[in-house]
Amino acid sequence: MLTKIWVPLALGIVLLSSALNFREWIARKKVIITYIKEHKLSAFILVLLIGLYVISVSIFYNFTLDAAYYVANVATSVETDMMNVYDPFTGAWQDHYEMRYFFATYQMQDAVVCQFTGIPALIYTKTIMSITIIILTNMVYLLIAGELFKDSDKKEIKTVIMMAMIFVVNMTFITIYTSSLFLMTRTYEGKAIIGNLALVSLFYFFIRMNDDNLKLRPWIIIFILCFGSATISSSANMLIPVELTILFLPMIIGKKQWKSLPGYVLCVIPGLAFSLIYILYVKGYFVWYTFPK
Amino acid sequence: MQGLSVFEKGLGYLSECISYYTGSCAYLVLYLVALIYICIYGSKREKEIFVPCSVFLILTVYNPVVPVILDHIFDVNSEYYRFFWITPVVILLPYTATVLIMGAKDIKQRTVLSVLILLICFCSGRFVYADGFKVAENIYKMPDELIEISNIIHLDCATEYPKVFLEYEYNMQMRQYDPKMLLTIDREDYLYAVSNPYTEEMLKDDDHPQYRLLAALTRNQHVEEEDFLEALEMSKTEYVVVNKSHPLINYLKIAGLKTVAKTGEHVIFKYNIKEPYEFELVDYSVVY
Repeated sequence: MLTKIWVPLALGIVLLSSALNFREWIARKKVIITYIKEHKLSAFILVLLIGLYVISVSIFYNFTLDAAYYVANVATSVETDMMNVYDPFTGAWQDHYEMRYFFATYQMQDAVVCQFTGIPALIYTKTIMSITIIILTNMVYLLIAGELFKDSDKKEIKTVIMMAMIFVVNMTFITIYTSSLFLMTRTYEGKAIIGNLALVSLFYFFIRMNDDNLKLRPWIIIFILCFGSATISSSANMLIPVELTILFLPMIIGKKQWKSLPGYVLCVIPGLAFSLIYILYVKGYFVWYTFPK
Repeated sequence: MQGLSVFEKGLGYLSECISYYTGSCAYLVLYLVALIYICIYGSKREKEIFVPCSVFLILTVYNPVVPVILDHIFDVNSEYYRFFWITPVVILLPYTATVLIMGAKDIKQRTVLSVLILLICFCSGRFVYADGFKVAENIYKMPDELIEISNIIHLDCATEYPKVFLEYEYNMQMRQYDPKMLLTIDREDYLYAVSNPYTEEMLKDDDHPQYRLLAALTRNQHVEEEDFLEALEMSKTEYVVVNKSHPLINYLKIAGLKTVAKTGEHVIFKYNIKEPYEFELVDYSVVY
Protein backbone atom coordinates (compact mmCIF):
# COMPACT_ATOMS: atom_id res chain seq x y z
CA MET A 1 0.00 0.00 0.00
CA LEU A 2 2.86 2.37 0.86
CA THR A 3 4.30 1.88 -2.61
CA LYS A 4 0.93 2.81 -4.16
CA ILE A 5 0.82 6.00 -2.08
CA TRP A 6 4.50 6.85 -2.32
CA VAL A 7 4.99 6.51 -6.06
CA PRO A 8 2.22 8.92 -7.16
CA LEU A 9 3.32 11.33 -4.43
CA ALA A 10 6.96 11.22 -5.55
CA LEU A 11 5.93 11.58 -9.18
CA GLY A 12 3.70 14.53 -8.22
CA ILE A 13 6.60 16.27 -6.46
CA VAL A 14 8.89 15.68 -9.45
CA LEU A 15 6.27 17.07 -11.84
CA LEU A 16 5.59 20.08 -9.60
CA SER A 17 9.31 20.73 -9.28
CA SER A 18 9.71 20.41 -13.05
CA ALA A 19 6.91 22.88 -13.66
CA LEU A 20 8.25 25.40 -11.13
CA ASN A 21 11.94 25.09 -11.97
CA PHE A 22 11.89 24.28 -15.68
CA ARG A 23 13.27 27.66 -16.77
CA GLU A 24 15.94 27.60 -14.08
CA TRP A 25 17.03 24.11 -15.16
CA ILE A 26 17.27 25.19 -18.79
CA ALA A 27 19.37 28.18 -17.73
CA ARG A 28 21.64 25.94 -15.62
CA LYS A 29 21.96 23.49 -18.49
CA LYS A 30 23.23 26.30 -20.71
CA VAL A 31 25.73 27.35 -18.04
CA ILE A 32 27.01 23.76 -17.73
CA ILE A 33 27.33 23.37 -21.51
CA THR A 34 29.20 26.67 -21.73
CA TYR A 35 31.49 25.59 -18.88
CA ILE A 36 32.28 22.29 -20.61
CA LYS A 37 33.00 24.07 -23.92
CA GLU A 38 35.25 26.68 -22.32
CA HIS A 39 37.00 24.39 -19.83
CA LYS A 40 37.25 21.05 -21.57
CA LEU A 41 40.20 19.78 -19.52
CA SER A 42 38.68 20.81 -16.16
CA ALA A 43 35.38 19.18 -17.09
CA PHE A 44 37.18 16.03 -18.20
CA ILE A 45 39.13 15.80 -14.91
CA LEU A 46 35.95 16.31 -12.86
CA VAL A 47 34.13 13.58 -14.80
CA LEU A 48 37.17 11.33 -14.45
CA LEU A 49 37.31 11.83 -10.67
CA ILE A 50 33.62 11.11 -10.22
CA GLY A 51 34.00 8.14 -12.57
CA LEU A 52 36.75 6.72 -10.34
CA TYR A 53 34.50 7.09 -7.29
CA VAL A 54 31.69 5.37 -9.18
CA ILE A 55 33.92 2.47 -10.24
CA SER A 56 35.17 2.15 -6.69
CA VAL A 57 31.70 1.84 -5.14
CA SER A 58 30.13 -0.21 -7.87
CA ILE A 59 32.43 -3.04 -8.88
CA PHE A 60 34.31 -4.12 -5.79
CA TYR A 61 33.26 -6.80 -3.35
CA ASN A 62 33.41 -6.04 0.34
CA PHE A 63 32.08 -7.83 3.35
CA THR A 64 30.59 -5.75 6.15
CA LEU A 65 28.55 -6.86 9.11
CA ASP A 66 26.17 -3.90 8.95
CA ALA A 67 24.89 -4.97 5.54
CA ALA A 68 23.47 -8.01 7.32
CA TYR A 69 21.00 -5.61 8.86
CA TYR A 70 20.56 -2.74 6.40
CA VAL A 71 20.49 -4.51 3.05
CA ALA A 72 18.71 -7.55 4.48
CA ASN A 73 16.10 -5.20 5.93
CA VAL A 74 15.34 -3.87 2.46
CA ALA A 75 15.14 -7.41 1.04
CA THR A 76 13.01 -8.59 3.98
CA SER A 77 10.61 -5.65 3.71
CA VAL A 78 10.09 -6.30 0.00
CA GLU A 79 9.63 -10.04 0.56
CA THR A 80 7.17 -9.67 3.45
CA ASP A 81 5.50 -6.50 2.17
CA MET A 82 5.87 -5.08 5.68
CA MET A 83 8.10 -2.51 7.33
CA ASN A 84 10.43 -3.47 10.19
CA VAL A 85 8.13 -6.30 11.32
CA TYR A 86 10.53 -9.17 10.60
CA ASP A 87 14.07 -9.45 11.93
CA PRO A 88 16.44 -8.86 9.01
CA PHE A 89 19.12 -11.08 10.59
CA THR A 90 17.03 -14.23 10.84
CA GLY A 91 13.65 -13.55 9.24
CA ALA A 92 11.86 -14.15 12.55
CA TRP A 93 8.72 -12.19 13.37
CA GLN A 94 9.18 -9.33 15.89
CA ASP A 95 6.42 -8.39 18.28
CA HIS A 96 7.60 -4.80 18.63
CA TYR A 97 9.36 -2.17 16.57
CA GLU A 98 13.00 -1.44 17.32
CA MET A 99 12.90 2.32 17.82
CA ARG A 100 16.54 2.74 16.94
CA TYR A 101 15.61 2.04 13.35
CA PHE A 102 11.96 3.11 13.39
CA PHE A 103 12.51 6.69 12.21
CA ALA A 104 15.53 5.82 10.10
CA THR A 105 13.50 5.22 6.99
CA TYR A 106 16.22 5.10 4.35
CA GLN A 107 15.93 1.32 4.09
CA MET A 108 12.15 1.59 3.77
CA GLN A 109 12.52 4.11 0.97
CA ASP A 110 14.88 1.69 -0.77
CA ALA A 111 12.35 -1.12 -0.22
CA VAL A 112 9.55 0.93 -1.75
CA VAL A 113 11.59 1.61 -4.88
CA CYS A 114 12.68 -2.04 -5.07
CA GLN A 115 9.08 -3.18 -4.82
CA PHE A 116 7.89 -0.67 -7.40
CA THR A 117 10.65 -1.33 -9.92
CA GLY A 118 11.32 -5.01 -9.21
CA ILE A 119 15.04 -4.28 -8.83
CA PRO A 120 16.66 -6.71 -6.31
CA ALA A 121 17.60 -5.08 -3.00
CA LEU A 122 21.30 -5.86 -3.39
CA ILE A 123 21.56 -4.21 -6.79
CA TYR A 124 19.55 -1.20 -5.75
CA THR A 125 21.28 -0.54 -2.42
CA LYS A 126 24.86 -1.55 -3.20
CA THR A 127 25.11 -0.25 -6.73
CA ILE A 128 22.36 2.13 -7.83
CA MET A 129 22.01 4.13 -4.61
CA SER A 130 25.75 3.97 -3.91
CA ILE A 131 26.44 5.60 -7.27
CA THR A 132 23.65 8.12 -6.73
CA ILE A 133 25.01 9.15 -3.33
CA ILE A 134 28.56 9.39 -4.67
CA ILE A 135 27.46 11.69 -7.50
CA LEU A 136 25.31 13.86 -5.22
CA THR A 137 28.11 14.17 -2.66
CA ASN A 138 30.54 15.23 -5.35
CA MET A 139 28.05 17.77 -6.65
CA VAL A 140 28.00 19.33 -3.18
CA TYR A 141 31.82 19.25 -3.00
CA LEU A 142 31.79 21.07 -6.33
CA LEU A 143 29.35 23.68 -5.03
CA ILE A 144 31.51 24.20 -1.94
CA ALA A 145 34.67 24.57 -4.02
CA GLY A 146 32.82 27.02 -6.26
CA GLU A 147 31.73 29.07 -3.24
CA LEU A 148 35.14 29.04 -1.58
CA PHE A 149 36.87 30.24 -4.74
CA LYS A 150 34.06 32.36 -6.11
CA ASP A 151 35.90 35.67 -6.03
CA SER A 152 39.36 34.42 -6.91
CA ASP A 153 41.13 34.30 -10.25
CA LYS A 154 41.67 30.92 -11.95
CA LYS A 155 38.55 29.71 -10.19
CA GLU A 156 38.12 26.71 -12.51
CA ILE A 157 41.66 25.41 -11.98
CA LYS A 158 41.40 25.87 -8.21
CA THR A 159 38.07 24.06 -8.15
CA VAL A 160 39.52 21.10 -10.02
CA ILE A 161 42.59 20.93 -7.76
CA MET A 162 40.37 21.04 -4.69
CA MET A 163 38.13 18.29 -6.07
CA ALA A 164 41.22 16.17 -6.78
CA MET A 165 42.48 16.76 -3.24
CA ILE A 166 39.08 15.82 -1.81
CA PHE A 167 39.32 12.62 -3.83
CA VAL A 168 42.76 11.90 -2.36
CA VAL A 169 41.54 12.56 1.19
CA ASN A 170 38.49 10.32 0.73
CA MET A 171 40.66 7.55 -0.67
CA THR A 172 43.25 7.73 2.10
CA PHE A 173 41.51 8.90 5.28
CA ILE A 174 40.55 5.33 6.00
CA THR A 175 39.99 3.55 9.29
CA ILE A 176 36.86 1.52 10.02
CA TYR A 177 35.34 4.62 11.64
CA THR A 178 35.88 7.51 9.22
CA SER A 179 33.13 9.02 7.10
CA SER A 180 35.38 8.55 4.05
CA LEU A 181 35.32 4.80 4.60
CA PHE A 182 31.55 4.88 4.83
CA LEU A 183 31.43 6.87 1.61
CA MET A 184 33.73 4.49 -0.25
CA THR A 185 32.54 1.13 1.04
CA ARG A 186 29.27 1.42 2.96
CA THR A 187 27.28 3.87 0.90
CA TYR A 188 24.15 1.69 1.26
CA GLU A 189 23.81 2.83 4.88
CA GLY A 190 21.84 5.87 5.92
CA LYS A 191 24.66 7.03 8.17
CA ALA A 192 27.01 7.17 5.17
CA ILE A 193 24.59 9.67 3.63
CA ILE A 194 24.46 11.68 6.85
CA GLY A 195 28.23 11.58 7.43
CA ASN A 196 28.99 12.73 3.93
CA LEU A 197 26.14 14.21 1.92
CA ALA A 198 24.09 15.79 4.73
CA LEU A 199 26.94 17.21 6.83
CA VAL A 200 28.72 18.56 3.75
CA SER A 201 25.47 20.07 2.41
CA LEU A 202 24.95 21.81 5.72
CA PHE A 203 28.47 23.20 5.47
CA TYR A 204 27.66 24.50 1.99
CA PHE A 205 24.56 26.32 3.24
CA PHE A 206 26.59 27.68 6.12
CA ILE A 207 29.09 29.22 3.67
CA ARG A 208 26.22 30.74 1.69
CA MET A 209 24.57 32.16 4.81
CA ASN A 210 27.88 33.43 6.13
CA ASP A 211 28.32 35.32 2.86
CA ASP A 212 24.71 36.43 3.18
CA ASN A 213 23.93 35.28 -0.36
CA LEU A 214 21.32 32.67 0.49
CA LYS A 215 18.43 35.07 0.42
CA LEU A 216 15.44 32.94 -0.48
CA ARG A 217 13.99 31.34 2.67
CA PRO A 218 17.40 30.07 3.89
CA TRP A 219 16.18 28.53 7.13
CA ILE A 220 13.38 26.67 5.35
CA ILE A 221 15.94 25.08 3.02
CA ILE A 222 18.10 24.14 6.00
CA PHE A 223 15.07 22.86 7.93
CA ILE A 224 14.17 20.56 5.02
CA LEU A 225 17.75 19.29 4.99
CA CYS A 226 17.76 18.70 8.75
CA PHE A 227 14.31 17.08 8.86
CA GLY A 228 15.15 14.95 5.83
CA SER A 229 18.38 13.83 7.48
CA ALA A 230 16.55 12.86 10.66
CA THR A 231 14.34 10.52 8.64
CA ILE A 232 17.26 8.85 6.88
CA SER A 233 19.37 7.64 9.79
CA SER A 234 19.22 7.92 13.56
CA SER A 235 22.85 9.08 13.49
CA ALA A 236 21.48 12.36 12.12
CA ASN A 237 19.65 12.96 15.40
CA MET A 238 22.93 13.55 17.18
CA LEU A 239 25.09 14.82 14.34
CA ILE A 240 22.84 17.40 12.70
CA PRO A 241 21.95 19.40 15.86
CA VAL A 242 25.64 19.47 16.83
CA GLU A 243 26.77 20.52 13.36
CA LEU A 244 24.07 23.20 13.27
CA THR A 245 25.29 24.48 16.62
CA ILE A 246 28.98 24.57 15.83
CA LEU A 247 28.43 26.19 12.44
CA PHE A 248 25.52 28.56 12.86
CA LEU A 249 25.62 29.61 16.51
CA PRO A 250 29.05 31.30 16.23
CA MET A 251 27.84 32.97 13.03
CA ILE A 252 24.65 34.22 14.67
CA ILE A 253 26.56 35.51 17.71
CA GLY A 254 29.48 36.93 15.71
CA LYS A 255 27.28 38.77 13.23
CA LYS A 256 24.60 39.56 15.78
CA GLN A 257 21.97 37.99 13.54
CA TRP A 258 19.51 37.48 16.37
CA LYS A 259 16.64 37.16 13.91
CA SER A 260 18.20 33.89 12.77
CA LEU A 261 17.90 32.29 16.22
CA PRO A 262 14.33 30.98 15.72
CA GLY A 263 15.42 29.42 12.41
CA TYR A 264 18.32 27.69 14.11
CA VAL A 265 16.08 26.42 16.92
CA LEU A 266 13.51 25.17 14.37
CA CYS A 267 16.21 23.19 12.53
CA VAL A 268 17.53 21.60 15.72
CA ILE A 269 14.06 20.42 16.80
CA PRO A 270 13.60 17.33 14.52
CA GLY A 271 16.85 15.71 15.63
CA LEU A 272 16.26 16.49 19.29
CA ALA A 273 12.65 15.27 19.12
CA PHE A 274 13.65 11.93 17.58
CA SER A 275 16.50 11.62 20.11
CA LEU A 276 14.07 12.24 22.97
CA ILE A 277 11.67 9.59 21.66
CA TYR A 278 14.55 7.12 21.41
CA ILE A 279 15.78 7.91 24.93
CA LEU A 280 12.26 7.39 26.30
CA TYR A 281 12.12 4.03 24.48
CA VAL A 282 15.54 2.95 25.79
CA LYS A 283 14.53 3.97 29.34
CA GLY A 284 11.45 1.75 28.98
CA TYR A 285 8.75 4.41 28.94
CA PHE A 286 6.97 2.94 25.92
CA VAL A 287 6.99 0.12 23.39
CA TRP A 288 5.30 0.10 20.02
CA TYR A 289 4.03 -3.34 19.19
CA THR A 290 3.64 -4.63 15.67
CA PHE A 291 0.08 -5.67 16.50
CA PRO A 292 -2.72 -4.22 18.68
CA LYS A 293 -2.37 -5.20 22.32
CA MET B 1 33.62 1.53 19.32
CA GLN B 2 33.66 -2.01 20.50
CA GLY B 3 35.44 -2.53 23.79
CA LEU B 4 35.77 1.16 24.65
CA SER B 5 33.67 2.30 27.58
CA VAL B 6 33.10 5.84 28.84
CA PHE B 7 32.29 4.44 32.27
CA GLU B 8 35.66 2.65 32.48
CA LYS B 9 37.82 5.27 30.80
CA GLY B 10 36.20 8.45 32.15
CA LEU B 11 37.98 11.55 30.88
CA GLY B 12 40.47 9.32 29.08
CA TYR B 13 37.72 8.00 26.81
CA LEU B 14 38.02 10.85 24.32
CA SER B 15 41.72 10.46 23.63
CA GLU B 16 41.34 6.70 23.15
CA CYS B 17 38.31 7.28 20.97
CA ILE B 18 40.32 9.68 18.77
CA SER B 19 43.14 7.16 18.68
CA TYR B 20 40.76 4.42 17.48
CA TYR B 21 39.16 6.83 15.01
CA THR B 22 42.33 8.01 13.35
CA GLY B 23 44.24 4.74 13.55
CA SER B 24 47.47 5.24 11.66
CA CYS B 25 46.08 8.30 9.83
CA ALA B 26 47.40 11.74 10.73
CA TYR B 27 44.59 13.70 9.11
CA LEU B 28 43.35 15.33 12.32
CA VAL B 29 46.88 16.67 12.88
CA LEU B 30 46.95 17.94 9.29
CA TYR B 31 43.56 19.54 9.93
CA LEU B 32 45.04 21.43 12.89
CA VAL B 33 48.01 22.52 10.78
CA ALA B 34 45.65 23.76 8.05
CA LEU B 35 43.58 25.56 10.66
CA ILE B 36 46.64 27.30 12.06
CA TYR B 37 47.59 28.32 8.50
CA ILE B 38 44.14 29.83 7.99
CA CYS B 39 44.38 31.60 11.37
CA ILE B 40 47.68 33.19 10.38
CA TYR B 41 47.42 33.76 6.65
CA GLY B 42 43.71 33.41 5.90
CA SER B 43 41.43 36.21 4.78
CA LYS B 44 38.64 37.50 7.02
CA ARG B 45 36.15 35.35 5.10
CA GLU B 46 38.28 32.21 5.38
CA LYS B 47 38.62 32.78 9.11
CA GLU B 48 34.87 33.28 9.47
CA ILE B 49 34.19 30.01 7.67
CA PHE B 50 36.75 27.71 9.29
CA VAL B 51 37.88 29.11 12.64
CA PRO B 52 34.73 29.62 14.80
CA CYS B 53 33.33 26.18 13.99
CA SER B 54 36.67 24.56 14.81
CA VAL B 55 36.85 26.40 18.13
CA PHE B 56 33.29 25.26 18.94
CA LEU B 57 34.27 21.72 17.95
CA ILE B 58 37.21 21.77 20.35
CA LEU B 59 34.98 23.12 23.11
CA THR B 60 32.28 20.51 22.54
CA VAL B 61 33.00 17.34 20.52
CA TYR B 62 36.71 17.29 21.43
CA ASN B 63 36.07 18.16 25.06
CA PRO B 64 36.83 15.10 27.27
CA VAL B 65 33.99 16.02 29.64
CA VAL B 66 31.29 15.86 26.96
CA PRO B 67 31.22 12.06 26.37
CA VAL B 68 31.12 11.56 30.14
CA ILE B 69 28.08 13.84 30.43
CA LEU B 70 26.37 12.39 27.37
CA ASP B 71 26.87 8.87 28.66
CA HIS B 72 24.57 9.70 31.57
CA ILE B 73 21.79 10.49 29.11
CA PHE B 74 22.26 7.67 26.61
CA ASP B 75 24.83 5.08 25.61
CA VAL B 76 27.48 6.81 23.50
CA ASN B 77 30.20 4.18 23.92
CA SER B 78 30.02 2.74 20.45
CA GLU B 79 28.91 5.81 18.54
CA TYR B 80 30.70 8.85 19.91
CA TYR B 81 33.26 8.66 17.10
CA ARG B 82 30.59 9.78 14.63
CA PHE B 83 30.76 13.28 16.11
CA PHE B 84 34.25 13.50 14.60
CA TRP B 85 32.61 13.36 11.16
CA ILE B 86 31.50 16.94 11.76
CA THR B 87 35.13 18.13 11.58
CA PRO B 88 35.35 19.44 8.00
CA VAL B 89 38.62 17.60 7.25
CA VAL B 90 37.49 16.79 3.74
CA ILE B 91 36.87 20.50 3.03
CA LEU B 92 39.57 22.39 4.92
CA LEU B 93 42.56 20.22 3.97
CA PRO B 94 41.88 20.18 0.21
CA TYR B 95 41.06 23.90 0.31
CA THR B 96 44.28 24.80 2.11
CA ALA B 97 46.28 22.52 -0.18
CA THR B 98 44.75 24.24 -3.21
CA VAL B 99 45.49 27.70 -1.80
CA LEU B 100 49.11 26.67 -1.16
CA ILE B 101 49.57 25.14 -4.60
CA MET B 102 48.02 28.07 -6.45
CA GLY B 103 49.91 30.52 -4.29
CA ALA B 104 53.25 29.22 -5.57
CA LYS B 105 55.21 31.47 -7.91
CA ASP B 106 55.49 29.39 -11.05
CA ILE B 107 54.52 26.06 -12.56
CA LYS B 108 57.73 24.41 -11.32
CA GLN B 109 57.04 25.34 -7.70
CA ARG B 110 53.42 24.32 -8.07
CA THR B 111 54.41 20.90 -9.34
CA VAL B 112 56.89 20.36 -6.52
CA LEU B 113 54.34 21.53 -3.94
CA SER B 114 51.61 19.31 -5.43
CA VAL B 115 53.85 16.25 -5.27
CA LEU B 116 54.87 17.14 -1.72
CA ILE B 117 51.25 17.54 -0.59
CA LEU B 118 50.25 14.28 -2.24
CA LEU B 119 53.14 12.52 -0.53
CA ILE B 120 52.08 13.98 2.83
CA CYS B 121 48.52 12.77 2.20
CA PHE B 122 49.61 9.26 1.24
CA CYS B 123 52.01 9.03 4.17
CA SER B 124 49.45 10.47 6.61
CA GLY B 125 46.64 8.22 5.54
CA ARG B 126 45.80 4.69 4.63
CA PHE B 127 44.59 3.82 1.14
CA VAL B 128 41.08 2.43 1.00
CA TYR B 129 42.32 -0.64 -0.86
CA ALA B 130 45.54 -1.06 1.11
CA ASP B 131 44.58 -4.67 1.84
CA GLY B 132 43.89 -5.34 -1.83
CA PHE B 133 40.57 -5.44 -3.57
CA LYS B 134 38.33 -8.06 -5.01
CA VAL B 135 36.09 -7.46 -7.98
CA ALA B 136 32.55 -8.65 -7.28
CA GLU B 137 31.77 -12.04 -8.80
CA ASN B 138 28.33 -11.00 -9.99
CA ILE B 139 25.90 -8.11 -10.16
CA TYR B 140 24.63 -8.90 -6.64
CA LYS B 141 28.14 -8.50 -5.18
CA MET B 142 27.69 -11.84 -3.44
CA PRO B 143 29.83 -14.96 -3.81
CA ASP B 144 28.60 -17.14 -6.70
CA GLU B 145 28.65 -20.08 -4.36
CA LEU B 146 26.22 -18.46 -1.94
CA ILE B 147 23.74 -18.03 -4.79
CA GLU B 148 24.27 -21.65 -5.79
CA ILE B 149 23.62 -22.81 -2.21
CA SER B 150 20.44 -20.75 -2.07
CA ASN B 151 19.18 -22.32 -5.31
CA ILE B 152 20.01 -25.86 -4.19
CA ILE B 153 18.23 -25.48 -0.86
CA HIS B 154 15.09 -24.02 -2.44
CA LEU B 155 14.99 -26.82 -5.01
CA ASP B 156 15.34 -29.43 -2.29
CA CYS B 157 13.05 -27.90 0.31
CA ALA B 158 9.32 -28.57 0.32
CA THR B 159 8.52 -25.31 2.10
CA GLU B 160 8.81 -21.75 0.85
CA TYR B 161 10.92 -20.60 3.81
CA PRO B 162 13.66 -23.11 4.67
CA LYS B 163 15.55 -22.64 7.92
CA VAL B 164 19.31 -22.89 7.67
CA PHE B 165 22.48 -22.92 9.73
CA LEU B 166 25.28 -21.22 7.80
CA GLU B 167 28.87 -20.42 8.57
CA TYR B 168 29.72 -16.90 9.72
CA GLU B 169 30.27 -15.03 6.44
CA TYR B 170 27.45 -16.60 4.50
CA ASN B 171 25.17 -16.20 7.51
CA MET B 172 25.73 -12.44 7.34
CA GLN B 173 25.17 -12.35 3.60
CA MET B 174 22.47 -14.84 2.77
CA ARG B 175 19.39 -12.80 3.66
CA GLN B 176 20.65 -9.81 1.70
CA TYR B 177 20.36 -11.96 -1.38
CA ASP B 178 17.60 -14.36 -0.38
CA PRO B 179 15.08 -13.10 2.22
CA LYS B 180 13.13 -16.34 1.90
CA MET B 181 15.94 -18.09 3.72
CA LEU B 182 15.36 -18.14 7.48
CA LEU B 183 18.49 -18.28 9.59
CA THR B 184 18.95 -20.11 12.87
CA ILE B 185 21.67 -17.81 14.15
CA ASP B 186 21.37 -14.05 14.49
CA ARG B 187 24.28 -11.65 14.33
CA GLU B 188 24.76 -11.15 18.07
CA ASP B 189 24.87 -14.91 18.74
CA TYR B 190 27.49 -15.31 16.06
CA LEU B 191 29.58 -12.42 17.34
CA TYR B 192 29.46 -14.00 20.79
CA ALA B 193 30.45 -17.40 19.45
CA VAL B 194 33.44 -16.06 17.55
CA SER B 195 35.25 -15.06 20.73
CA ASN B 196 33.58 -16.79 23.68
CA PRO B 197 33.28 -20.42 24.76
CA TYR B 198 29.93 -21.85 25.84
CA THR B 199 29.47 -22.99 29.44
CA GLU B 200 27.78 -26.25 30.42
CA GLU B 201 24.83 -24.23 31.64
CA MET B 202 24.46 -22.56 28.24
CA LEU B 203 24.67 -25.89 26.46
CA LYS B 204 21.76 -27.16 28.53
CA ASP B 205 19.65 -24.05 27.88
CA ASP B 206 16.56 -25.27 26.01
CA ASP B 207 15.43 -21.69 25.42
CA HIS B 208 18.51 -21.16 23.27
CA PRO B 209 19.19 -24.40 21.41
CA GLN B 210 21.30 -22.46 18.90
CA TYR B 211 24.05 -22.30 21.57
CA ARG B 212 24.67 -26.02 21.08
CA LEU B 213 24.89 -25.63 17.32
CA LEU B 214 27.35 -22.76 17.64
CA ALA B 215 29.40 -24.53 20.32
CA ALA B 216 29.80 -27.60 18.11
CA LEU B 217 30.12 -26.05 14.66
CA THR B 218 31.86 -22.76 15.42
CA ARG B 219 33.91 -23.42 18.54
CA ASN B 220 34.46 -27.16 18.06
CA GLN B 221 33.28 -27.77 21.63
CA HIS B 222 32.07 -31.26 22.40
CA VAL B 223 28.31 -31.63 22.11
CA GLU B 224 26.66 -35.05 22.24
CA GLU B 225 25.12 -36.02 18.90
CA GLU B 226 21.77 -36.49 20.60
CA ASP B 227 21.87 -32.98 22.05
CA PHE B 228 22.98 -31.58 18.71
CA LEU B 229 20.04 -33.21 16.90
CA GLU B 230 17.70 -32.01 19.61
CA ALA B 231 18.97 -28.48 19.05
CA LEU B 232 18.28 -28.78 15.33
CA GLU B 233 14.80 -30.06 16.09
CA MET B 234 14.03 -27.36 18.67
CA SER B 235 15.31 -24.56 16.44
CA LYS B 236 13.56 -26.13 13.41
CA THR B 237 16.82 -26.05 11.47
CA GLU B 238 16.46 -28.16 8.35
CA TYR B 239 19.75 -27.44 6.58
CA VAL B 240 23.33 -27.14 7.79
CA VAL B 241 25.90 -25.72 5.40
CA VAL B 242 29.55 -26.07 6.33
CA ASN B 243 32.89 -25.80 4.61
CA LYS B 244 34.23 -29.01 3.04
CA SER B 245 37.23 -28.81 5.33
CA HIS B 246 35.11 -28.48 8.47
CA PRO B 247 36.39 -30.88 11.16
CA LEU B 248 32.86 -32.03 12.03
CA ILE B 249 31.82 -33.33 8.61
CA ASN B 250 31.91 -36.92 9.86
CA TYR B 251 30.17 -35.94 13.07
CA LEU B 252 27.26 -34.56 11.05
CA LYS B 253 27.11 -37.71 8.92
CA ILE B 254 27.21 -39.99 11.95
CA ALA B 255 24.51 -37.88 13.59
CA GLY B 256 22.29 -38.83 10.66
CA LEU B 257 22.28 -35.70 8.50
CA LYS B 258 21.98 -36.42 4.78
CA THR B 259 24.23 -34.81 2.21
CA VAL B 260 22.05 -32.83 -0.18
CA ALA B 261 24.79 -31.44 -2.42
CA LYS B 262 28.36 -30.27 -2.57
CA THR B 263 29.40 -26.99 -4.08
CA GLY B 264 32.91 -25.69 -4.73
CA GLU B 265 33.81 -25.16 -1.08
CA HIS B 266 30.76 -26.28 0.88
CA VAL B 267 28.63 -29.26 1.80
CA ILE B 268 24.88 -28.89 2.30
CA PHE B 269 23.43 -31.26 4.90
CA LYS B 270 19.76 -31.88 5.58
CA TYR B 271 18.14 -32.81 8.86
CA ASN B 272 14.70 -34.39 8.64
CA ILE B 273 12.64 -32.52 11.18
CA LYS B 274 10.38 -34.83 13.17
CA GLU B 275 7.71 -32.23 13.68
CA PRO B 276 7.76 -30.09 10.53
CA TYR B 277 6.31 -26.63 10.68
CA GLU B 278 5.41 -24.20 7.95
CA PHE B 279 6.65 -20.66 8.46
CA GLU B 280 3.93 -18.23 7.43
CA LEU B 281 3.87 -14.47 7.29
CA VAL B 282 1.58 -12.89 9.88
CA ASP B 283 -1.79 -12.03 8.42
CA TYR B 284 -2.35 -8.51 9.73
CA SER B 285 -5.74 -8.24 8.02
CA VAL B 286 -7.03 -10.40 10.90
CA VAL B 287 -5.84 -8.01 13.61
CA TYR B 288 -6.42 -4.69 11.85
